[in-house]
Parts: sequence; structure tokens; C-alpha cells
Amino acid sequence: MKQEIKRIIIVLAGFCLAFISLIVYLSYFQVFKASTVKNNSYNKRLWINEASILRGSFLDRNGKILVYSENKDGTYIRNYLYGRLYSHIIGYSYREYGKTGLELQYNNALLNISENATLNELKNLVLPSTVGNNIKLTISHDLQSKARELLKGKKGSIVAMNPISGEVYAMVSMPDFDVNTLKEDWKAITENPDSPLINRATQGLYVPGSVFKVITATAFLEKENLDMNYECTGTANVGGYEFSDYNKKAHGEIDLEGALVNSCNTYFTTKSVEVGKDLILNIAERFLLNNEIPFDLPVKSSQFPYKGFIDKTELAAASIGQGKVLVTPLNMALVASGIANGGQIVKPILVKEIISNDGKVIRSNKTEILSTVTDPVKANLIKEMMVEVVNSGTGTKARIKNIKVAGKTGTAETSSGKSHAWFIGFAPADSPKVAVAVVLEEESATGGSSAAPIAREIMLYAINNIKE
Amino acid sequence: MKRLLSQSPRNLLFLFQVLGITLLLINKGRATDRLTLGIVAGLILVIYLSNYILTKISKGDNYIFLITTMLASIGIIMIYRINEGLGIKQLVWISMGIILFFFTYFIVKKIRIWEKLSYIYLIGAYFLFLITFIFGDKRHGAINWVNIGNFSFQPSEIIKVLLIFILSSYYSNKERWKEFNKYSSYYLMGIVYSFIALLFLQRDLGTAMLFYIIFAAIQFIYEDDRKLIFINIALIVVFGILGYLLFDHVKIRFQAWINPWRYIERQGYQITQSLFAIAEGGFFGKGLGLGHPDFIPVVYTDFIFSAICEEMGIFTGIGIIMLFMIFVYRGFKIAIAQRNEFYRILALGISILFGAQSFIILGGVIKMIPLTGLTLPFISYGGSSILSSFTALGILQVCSEEIKSKEELDEAGD
Repeated sequence: MKQEIKRIIIVLAGFCLAFISLIVYLSYFQVFKASTVKNNSYNKRLWINEASILRGSFLDRNGKILVYSENKDGTYIRNYLYGRLYSHIIGYSYREYGKTGLELQYNNALLNISENATLNELKNLVLPSTVGNNIKLTISHDLQSKARELLKGKKGSIVAMNPISGEVYAMVSMPDFDVNTLKEDWKAITENPDSPLINRATQGLYVPGSVFKVITATAFLEKENLDMNYECTGTANVGGYEFSDYNKKAHGEIDLEGALVNSCNTYFTTKSVEVGKDLILNIAERFLLNNEIPFDLPVKSSQFPYKGFIDKTELAAASIGQGKVLVTPLNMALVASGIANGGQIVKPILVKEIISNDGKVIRSNKTEILSTVTDPVKANLIKEMMVEVVNSGTGTKARIKNIKVAGKTGTAETSSGKSHAWFIGFAPADSPKVAVAVVLEEESATGGSSAAPIAREIMLYAINNIKE
Repeated sequence: MKRLLSQSPRNLLFLFQVLGITLLLINKGRATDRLTLGIVAGLILVIYLSNYILTKISKGDNYIFLITTMLASIGIIMIYRINEGLGIKQLVWISMGIILFFFTYFIVKKIRIWEKLSYIYLIGAYFLFLITFIFGDKRHGAINWVNIGNFSFQPSEIIKVLLIFILSSYYSNKERWKEFNKYSSYYLMGIVYSFIALLFLQRDLGTAMLFYIIFAAIQFIYEDDRKLIFINIALIVVFGILGYLLFDHVKIRFQAWINPWRYIERQGYQITQSLFAIAEGGFFGKGLGLGHPDFIPVVYTDFIFSAICEEMGIFTGIGIIMLFMIFVYRGFKIAIAQRNEFYRILALGISILFGAQSFIILGGVIKMIPLTGLTLPFISYGGSSILSSFTALGILQVCSEEIKSKEELDEAGD
């Protein structure tokens, strides 16, 4: 008898557990999954409002119209005026293919529907909304066009932004696609091995190569009592693996500045072992690697995957941006911005304002500090070294007459054998107006020869033409 | 004081119904015809009075009926909101269900030979399977509907009650059966597995799973031959794997559970539409009449819970889950208090039936477990489901009363 009761209670406990797990799962789903699930383009609810509300326009920072909707015979037609130029930023909104980019992220704002259903209903009762909000970007249409022109025919990405305010002036990813001819091109786009649909600026993870040395150099400065002098012979053996400089060139007696200016691998690989993994990891994470970067578009986290133990060779490789280190171009633009902004990285902004149909600013993105990477004194030291890189080192092709430019080049070796060409930098060095990251994917040329001239054009144009 | 306490939930239920239905009628935004108003008022009255009368005629548990009428009210409100015609029909079904509840209650209470009818239950069950195969009609991928003239019903709804009677009559007399045949427990297991196999052939995976859980739980509590329990578990694992490998419809359900987004156009369509609805509802719902339950497939029956979550929020959803939990708890409590072993097992079987059935479908529509089609007891639309559920509830009501144990009855007879 007693055993029977015991067994009954076991079964009852099983049922209670089953019901409680239902409650837990349902709550978990609602808190963590629901927002992504809701935005799936197969959710028909997303399209109901589309028929009755005029979707808002996209404008550039000067108010130039980029995308707008119009009523044609009772149905709303979306007009993308620059089919390719904004394929990754603004994206598209089609019933067949869903929504991407800002069209997806700012869907509710574009249709002027509130996130809160009850509020919506009340609002619709009082004054039914038929016109959505417009979105003003921080993008400069002219610079965006120029950046795309410079990248034409290549693979890669350019990010140009204001290092002080975080406003993104241009963000280009190549190859791109034409959102106006999706129907005709869809098969070709999805089958293209270069994946044109991916926004490389935020989703592309690249080996950084020598541009990573900016981060390593910051870590070296943070290390107390580190002997900055070194005798470079062109090669160095770390943990049984031989690292060598470009063309095995011996740089002789150099300090940190000399090492950065000449992009001396042996210097960084040797010193990184003295500095140790923990400090380099710490600084890398302050530069937002291994972190999620809050942005108006989804951003992949850059990786510095060395939380556990690593041997000397791995650390040495990581210190020059090889090994398993992977970064997004947006992250590298933020690295340059951090140095430009006295050691503080600000949140990148793509949407400047949401403006209602009658011209009122409903919401605007404010500058926000994301991370402090180092103090202003050390940031200034790094900056001076980066200025020397452009003046007399590997980055001379980014030099601009009468303007002090800071920069760092990189030529990242990849498993395919074709190297990525990198340049990150900012200008004017003493009162930075623009920071830039350029990556040319599998370009097989040095960053100094191929990426630096592109960055130069971007910086020069931004300084001369963009009003804050 | 006691009277006040047992009255207040009844009044709360009344309040809920009046508020819910008023909201619904306002939301529809136009004059409702008198017939509908009459039926609605009638139902509220019937439910209120039934709860009142029950406290007078039954000394047993008064909460189980209260809980089920609450669930039924939520169901009616939701179904009426989606489709007025079906809502009215559901009102009729519930009313008939309540009548059947009282009818069953009196029949089962007055007649005391139930535990001696094992063979009749068995023959009845096989007979119902037979007519399913002869007159069977395919709906939503399962052959489990029988049409005779204008009348259509789901035999498996009756068979599941018969299964509980079979298990109860066997285990309450297990000594006698074991004397009769040493391997009688093995025969019983064979019979239950034959039911499961037949359901499997009808592609009614949900009911098959339900039968297995009822059997496994009763067996776990009452089987003296503990070896059988392990055999039972091992067999279901083997059959599960075989079923997955051999039958496409099992494989499809499993794949649609693992990653419905990949098969969103076909196998994953139903479950993803359900998830959209739940996600849109958030914690407090879009409000009655403000969501789009019309986008959810099979919304009246299997996916009624998703529609409720969309418009009333997962707080109501969690409330429903908790009501089922309390129901199961009351059912088990009834069983433990019952001295007569046959009625004790009967009470357990019915509680497990409602517990397992609600868990399988709730877990399915929220994608916690693979989706198999079943109705949500008392809430989903459907005559067979409502009538059989209220019948089972009537039996449980009898079980909740004091019944003399067999020994006591024998003594009284002497």
C-alpha cells in the first residue's frame, strides 16, 4: 500500500515537472527567441500593414532621397534609386524575398507602427496612420558613391566614420547586387561563390595581419617596465617556429615606433612573449574583439579566441594578427577611431534620425562611449607612431599634402595563399574628422600599395566635403 | 465560511465569462442577433448552475468541474472570436458535454459491475478500430475519423476511455488474473501494443503516444513484475527508432521539430505559423480580436493554444498550463484518497489521460517536443473530443466520492 502511494507521487511529480518545463520553455521562448521569430519574412503579419501604409523614405545625411515609396494605381511601389549602392545598408523589402538591412531593422519605424500593440490600437482609433516615418542616415551619398567607385571590380569592404561622434559616412561591401533586379538575378546571386548578399563590413571576418599591431602596440605600452628596444635581424625564432619580416629584411636597432613604422614582425612576435597573453587578450577585448558591437545592423563578433592556455608560437602569431584572429572591417574602423579619439571607442551610428511625415524628429541616435582602450597619453603615442607610418613607413601612399595622416598597413596571409590588403587610419591626425578601414579581400598585394591609396582618397574627400 | 470559499471561484468564473464575452461582442462591433445572445446567456447560466448543483449532489471534488468549465469558457471565447458559427456549435457541444457529464455521473455511480466487464471493453475497443479502418476518413494526415451518414466521430476518443477501463479492471484484480494465467501481464502488454500499432497504422501518432504514456504510468505504479517495466521502455525505444527509419511521416515530424525553419514552406509550415503567433502575442497578448489567428493552420483544434497566446498573451497560456497542472494534481489526490482500488486506478488513468494529452499538444505547438496532432482537452473545438472528455470527467467525479473497498463491499454482502 505504502509503495503504491510512493509510486503515485513519483508519477505526479513527473507530470508537475512536465508542466513546469512547459512554462519555463514558453517564457524562455518569449524572452529570448520571440523577437527574431517575429521578424521572419514568412510571418504574414509583417505584410498586413504594408498594404495600407505608405512606407517611409531613406535619406542621406544631407537629406538626399535614396529610397521612397509611391502609390501607383492603389498599390504602393518601393523605388530604390541606387540599386547597388545601398544593397547592404538599406537592403530591400519584397514579399518574395523578405526584408534585409535597415528595411528589416527599422520596419516598424518606416511604417510608423509602435512596438506596443495596445498603444497601436489606441493610436489607430484616434488618428489612423497611413504614412510612415522617414529615416535619415549618417551616410554621405557622395562619399558612399566614391567608396564604391574605388572598390569596383575588387572584393572587400570600406568603412569610413567620424571617430568622435561615431557617425558612419560610408560603408561599402563588394561584390554587391542590384535590389531592383532581384527577381531576375536571384539565382545568380545565391549561387555566386563570392556571396554578394553578405555585408562584408559587418559580417565578414578577415585575418587582420599587421593592422592588428596597433592593438599589440597598445598592449606593449600598457606593460610596465617593458624594454622597448630590440635588434632586428630579419628573422626570429619563437617557441621553435621561425617568424620572418617582409623579404627577410633586417631593420637593425629599433624601438616600438620603428617596429610599427616598418611593420617589423620579429619585434612584435618576440616582445609579445614577454608581455604575455593575458594583457594582449585584455587589450584586444577592450578594442571590442570577442564582443558584440551594438549597431543598427547585425554585426558578427571579431574573434581573439585565446581565452585558455596557448603556447608561445600561437601568441606570437596572434600578436601580428595571424593565427586564429579574425576581425570585421567595422571593428577595425573602430580600432582606428579609438586611437583617434584619445583612447575611447564610440558606438558606430548609421541611422541619424527618424523623422515623422510632418518633419518632427521622433528619435535620434546619440553618441555613446562603448569602451576605453587606453589613456589619452598612450593613445597619443600610438597616434604619433601611426603618423610616422604614413610619413616614412609602409603607408606613404596614404600621405596627403598639408594634412597629417595616421595609419597602419597590413598584408594578411590566408590559408588560400592569397593575402588580404589592409589599411586603417584617420586624418587630420591632430583633430580627427574621419577614420577609415579598407580591406581588399585576396588581393595578393601589400596593404601599403593597394589599400593605402584608396584610404587616402576617402579621407581626403571626407575632410573636404563632409560637414558635421 | 466554508460555503463562501467554495462559492467564490464559481463567481470568479462567472465574472470571467461575462467580461470575456462582453469584450468579444463589443469587438465584433455590430449588433449581435438575439439567438446568439440567448445561447451565450444560457451557457453562462448552465455552467453557473451546474457548478452549483454539483456541490449539492456530489460530496466529491468540486474543483475539477470548475477547472474544466473555466478551460471550456476560454475555448468558447477564442473559437467564437475566430469563427462565430463554430463558436455557437462549440457552445452546443459544451452544453451537451455537461449533460453527458451528469448522465455519466449517475450511470457510473448507480451501476457497480464495471470492474467485471474487461472482455466487453476489449471487444468494444477492437470493434471501434475495425470500423475506423472500414469507414475511415483521412483528415490532417491521419485516418481517424468515421463518417456514418451525416454523423462523424473519432473512435479513438472512445477507445482511450475503454483503455483506462481495461487497465483498471485488470490491475484491480491482478491476483485473480495471475492465478488464471501466469503471463497475463504480458498479454495485457500485447493488447496495449496492438492498440498502439493500430493507431500507428492510422498515422495517429499523438494518440499512440498518449496510449503509451497512460499504459506506462499505470504499469509503473501497479505491475509487480518490475522486469516488464524495463521491457516496456526498451520496446518503445526500439519501435521509436524503427518507426523513424521506416516511416516517412515519422521522419518528417522529427525533422520539422529539429529545424522547422529549413522546411518552412512544407513540413515546418504549421509549427512556424504557430511560433509566429505566440511570438507576436508577447506576455500580455495583442488583445482579443486584434491578432491574426486566421493565419494559423488547424487553429480550432490542435493549434487553439497558439491563437490564445497571440491574443491573450503567454500569461493566459501559462494560466492554462497551470489549470491543467492543478487538474492533474486534484485527480491524483482523488486517487490517493479513494479506497476502492478499481476506482482508484480509474481516477489515475483519467488524470494521466488529461495530463498527458494536454502536455503532448501544448509541448508540440510551442516546439518543445515533436508536434503530433491531438486536441487540447476542453478547449479545442470538436464534438468527439468534448463529449469524451466530459464523459471521462463524469467518471472522475464518481471516483472522487467515498466508495467502499471491495473487501468492505464483500463484508456488507455477507
